[in-house]
Parts: sequence; C-alpha cells; structure tokens
Amino acid sequence: MKKMNEQKLDALLSQYVDGVLSEQEAQQVESLLAVDTSAKQKVVELKNLKRLLALQPKLNPDIGFWTRFSVAMEEQKEEEHNLLPFPRKFIPAITVMATAIVVIIGTLVIQNRIQLKQFLSTKSQAVREVYEKNILQGSLLPLFSKVDKEHALQFSLFGTLPLDDKSETAFRVDEQSEKGYRIEVGNNLKSNTKSVTFDRFVAEVKPSVKQKKIIDSLLELTGRRIESSVLIGENNTLAIAPDLPKLNRLMVTNIASCLEPLQRVSFERLLEANNAPYKVTVKSVQTGKAGNYVQNIPKFPQGDRFVIITPDTMMYSQIHIDFDSLKRQMEENFAVVGVRRAAMLKKIIAREFQRVPKNMHFPMTNQIFGGEEFFSVEINAPGEEDNQQQMRVVVQPRFRKQIFTPGMPNHSTQMRIWKDTASSDITP
Amino acid sequence: MKSIEIDERGGSVAIPIPRADWQSENERFRIGVRARSFVPSFPRTNDADSMTNHQALPKPNAEVLRKMDDEALITTFQSGDLDVYRYLVERYQERIRNLLFSIFRDRDFIDDLAQEVFIKAYQALPHFRFEASFYTWLYRIAVNKSRDELRKKKTRRFFSFQTLDEGIEKELNVRLSVQPENRDTQELVAMGLKTLPEKFRTAVVLKDIEGLSYEEIAEVMQCELGTVKSRISRARAMLRKALKPLMEEV
Repeated sequence: MKKMNEQKLDALLSQYVDGVLSEQEAQQVESLLAVDTSAKQKVVELKNLKRLLALQPKLNPDIGFWTRFSVAMEEQKEEEHNLLPFPRKFIPAITVMATAIVVIIGTLVIQNRIQLKQFLSTKSQAVREVYEKNILQGSLLPLFSKVDKEHALQFSLFGTLPLDDKSETAFRVDEQSEKGYRIEVGNNLKSNTKSVTFDRFVAEVKPSVKQKKIIDSLLELTGRRIESSVLIGENNTLAIAPDLPKLNRLMVTNIASCLEPLQRVSFERLLEANNAPYKVTVKSVQTGKAGNYVQNIPKFPQGDRFVIITPDTMMYSQIHIDFDSLKRQMEENFAVVGVRRAAMLKKIIAREFQRVPKNMHFPMTNQIFGGEEFFSVEINAPGEEDNQQQMRVVVQPRFRKQIFTPGMPNHSTQMRIWKDTASSDITP
Repeated sequence: MKSIEIDERGGSVAIPIPRADWQSENERFRIGVRARSFVPSFPRTNDADSMTNHQALPKPNAEVLRKMDDEALITTFQSGDLDVYRYLVERYQERIRNLLFSIFRDRDFIDDLAQEVFIKAYQALPHFRFEASFYTWLYRIAVNKSRDELRKKKTRRFFSFQTLDEGIEKELNVRLSVQPENRDTQELVAMGLKTLPEKFRTAVVLKDIEGLSYEEIAEVMQCELGTVKSRISRARAMLRKALKPLMEEV
C-alpha cells in the first residue's frame, strides 16, 4: 500500500514538475511540499533531472544527410525493381559461384562422358523395351490383324468378316429391327450368305477405271477402320468401337453412289442374288460425277471411345492407342502376336462368356446374352436416318426371315452384329 | 531532381506535377481525387521536355516550397510531385537523428537508422490521411524502428551471451563513485538512460529531451495518456535512483 502510494506520489510530483496538473491538484501538491521534506527533495531532484536531460548534447546538423539519403532511396528503388531472389549487391558473388559450379559440372561431365553415354544409352534402351512391352504385351490387341480388299468388300456387302485364315468366323450387320445393334461371339453359328469376290463384283457391275479406284480406296479405308475397331485382350476382354455397325451400311451406300444407274441396277441384282442384308434404291434420277456422291467416308483413325466388354461388366471407355505404331510392331512380331490373339479369342469364346446369365441387364441400356457356345452383346446406337435423307442413293435393309442359323455342326466361330433382332435369332 | 515551376499569376499557385515513372495510373487517379484545394489543376505530365515548354509559368522556387507547411508538402507529394519529399526530410532530419541518438547514443548507427525511418515514411506517405500531424507520425515510425532495432540488439546479445545492461549499470556506478569534479555529467545521464527499459527510455526521451506533450507522446507511442504519465513517472524514478549521487550533488 505504501509502495502504491509512493508510486502515486511520484506520478503526481512528476506531473507537477511538468506543470500539467490542474490548479486544484497543484495546490494540493504545494501544500504537501510545505510539510513533507522528502517530497520536496523529490521535486528538486525531478527538476534537476529534467534540466540534465534537456542539456543532453545534440548532434551537429548533417548537411550531407539528404545526399546520402537520396542515394539510399535510389538503391531502394532498384531493389524494388529487382526480380532476382537476392539483393543486387550479391550479384557478383553469385555470378562467380554459378560460374564455378558450371565449370565443375562441365569438368565432371567431360571426365565421365563415356560412362554418361553408356548410362543414357542403357536408359533409352530400357524406355524402348518398356514401350515395346506395353504395346506388344499390353492387355489389348486388334482382333483383325490384316483386313484386305476382299475381306473389306465381304464386310461391306454382307456384314461378315473372317476372324481367321480358315474363314470359319464372320462379322455381320443386320438392320431388320429398329433400335440398337447386337454383337455376338460364339460357336455353332453359320451364316447363309454367300461370298462375293472383288473380281466377281467387277464382272457383274462393270465399274469404270475411275470408279474402280474410288471403290478400291473405300475398301482400303474400310479395312483399316475395321482393324482398329475391334480389340481383344487378356482376362477375356473385348473392346469394340460403338460406331462400327454403321460402317457396313455406309460402305454399301458409298459404293452405290459411285455407280451409274445401270451399274447400280447390276449392283442391286448382285446383292439380291447373294441375299445381302441391304438393298439399294435411288431417290432421284439426278446424275453427277461419281466422286461427288461418296458420302461420309469413314475417317481413320476413328474416335478412341470403345465399348469394353468383360465377363463381369460392360462399359464405355476411352482407349488411347497409336494403331499405326501398334500395327508396325505387330507386323514385326507377326507370329507371336498371332498366337497370343488366337489364345485370347479362344479363351473368350470357349468359357468365360458362357457364364453370363441370359437377359442379364447392364448399365447404359446395354445387354449381354449368353448361350452354350456363344455370347452376344446388345448396344443401343443412334441411326443414320438424317444422313440417309440427304443422300441421293438410299440403302435399306433387305427383308430376310432368318440370317443366322445357330447350332450347325461345323462349329464355326462367328461375331455377329445386327440391329436389335428378335431374341430368337440370337439365342439358340 | 526535377525542377518545380510555380505560377503565381492572378493570386493562384500552379505547380507542375510530373508523374514518377514507377507510379501507376491508378495511383495517380487516387491521389488526384485526394488533392487539396491549393494544389492547382496543372496539366500533369511525365514528359520532362514538356515541362520546359511551360515558359509562361515562373520557375519553381525552392524557397516557397521550404515555406510550405507539412500538410501542403504532403498533399503535393500525394499529388505526384515526389521531389517535395526532400523538404520534409530536410525539415525533420535533425529531429529524427537526435531522437534516435537520445535513444541509442550511437553516432555511427544513427544515420543508417534515420535513413531507414525516412525511407519507411516515403513508402507510407501516399497513404498518409492527415489524422495526425506529420511529425508525430514520423516520430511514431522512428520509435517503432528503434523498438525493432532494440529487440534485434537484445536478440543478438542473447545469442552472444552478452549482458550489456548489467555492464552499463556497473560502469555507471563506478563512474558515479569518482570525485564530482571528475564526472562527465552528460555522459552519466546518457548511461543512466541506457539502463532504462525501452518503453520507459523512449517515453522520457520524448518528454524531457524532445519536449513533446503527454498527448503527443501517447500518439507517438500509440498508448493511453495514463500509460504515458505512468511510464514517464517511473522512468524518472528509475533515473533518480540510478543517478542518485548526481541528483544530490546538483
């Protein structure tokens, strides 16, 4: 309490010396000083202290202060504009250090250039090996390794395509129904369609040299498109480009567009005689150059969207594959790739997909059907009606009571694609 | 330094305001809105040649600028004429140097610190809002700077295991013990100040050496008036105790 009072008294006396007390407070202090000698002594000491502090020496005026300050300001501005992560004054030292580091690294590189070259060579070889391994031993390989002109024509006219050299498998498109396409892989499926060779097509239709060139180009393009549209892989995986079923009808349309009216009649007779799934009709009698009628030639490569089918599920997915590189690698390792592909296909057809229950529903309105020795997949796909309306030549499905005959004794393997046919057609 | 031209025709004062290279257009606009009435609507330009084309206008007079009060100089500065900062520096450089000298008592160190104070003020001056007088604002920057510096010194002392304060107190006692005629009173008072903690030292320096009022000290130190009174009282009490022989002698 005494200490508190002493502090208060000190504060009061300090303010009294400074002359900031009110008149009443000042009178109270003066009354105290009259009777309290110690307080009076404090006031004397405070006044002495104030005088001593006021007498503290001052610095001499610095006439060069502004000059030095302006220099410092300039340096400050330079630092503000300095984009380097360190002050400018360190530039020489850092330059020397950087040069020394470069010289040391350069010397080390020169001294160890042979080892370095070997190291880089080893690494690049490893990268190449990894790439080749990924391509050649990857999970997906094209189902059709080489689709030539004859096979492309077969697919275009009849929707069938051999899967092996013995031509025991087929690829087919049917448009007897109105919604969706169906893909089927299995044994004991036989097509009743006939095959038409390119020579026979030429003999029947008699295209001109120019027309023949156009058709040749279309068939070559179709072949490349088919090669990149169906992939098979390990673990019973099948990847199919969802727009592949459209290719068949489009090709018939394009071929018919190249032809003159009389040639088109011959072409239609050829299709009818061989029970082809499409018939050709003419919308108008306008004529023109054949090349102008080629519509919607399929571009190569197509989009990288595929329907991925596994024993358990089916989904759409993006597959980024450089088919040109893949094809080159396959050609270099034709035998190995052929064996692997045959094994994959056999595995797919032989066992796994037979386990899929009948009429099992999958997401995205897709369905997979299973049979004794086959499986089929139904995919809903938009039609080409709008394009057809704009084309002079119209290709329509030809009515057929039965195209596929399952259960025949030749045990052929077929992949069939058609547009939502009756379930009796696909299920034995 | 760019020359300043002043037009006093018709009782008005026109000051050409060159735009500094680093100053953005936005800043110009903002500053222009804030300009006081005495700043003329002189065509602003950053083209040095065009400045000399205003032959009809009298040349700037540094003496006139020196006579301008702080507020006018700051407004001119904020309007874009950064060169007027020189007159503010020249006006307050000795006060700031002496304030810092009173706090630190180190001549070599003072000039660098004073430069840092004025650089800090230069950077902050565009945002000065005239809510306080310029010199209390400048003192505040100096006090904050000295506080930072004292903290740095304290940290350095801690890591160098020095006990400077204890050394000063001992030396002060030794010097006070000699014969009165051999004492250097001013040096003893300076040493006594050094023994005070920073906030007490600054308060008593601002009051008894710089002559600021309690209110101004409260503004500079950014604290309550009662706190200032208490700090000054306690600082004086500590000084009286430290300089007891000197007090009795006086």
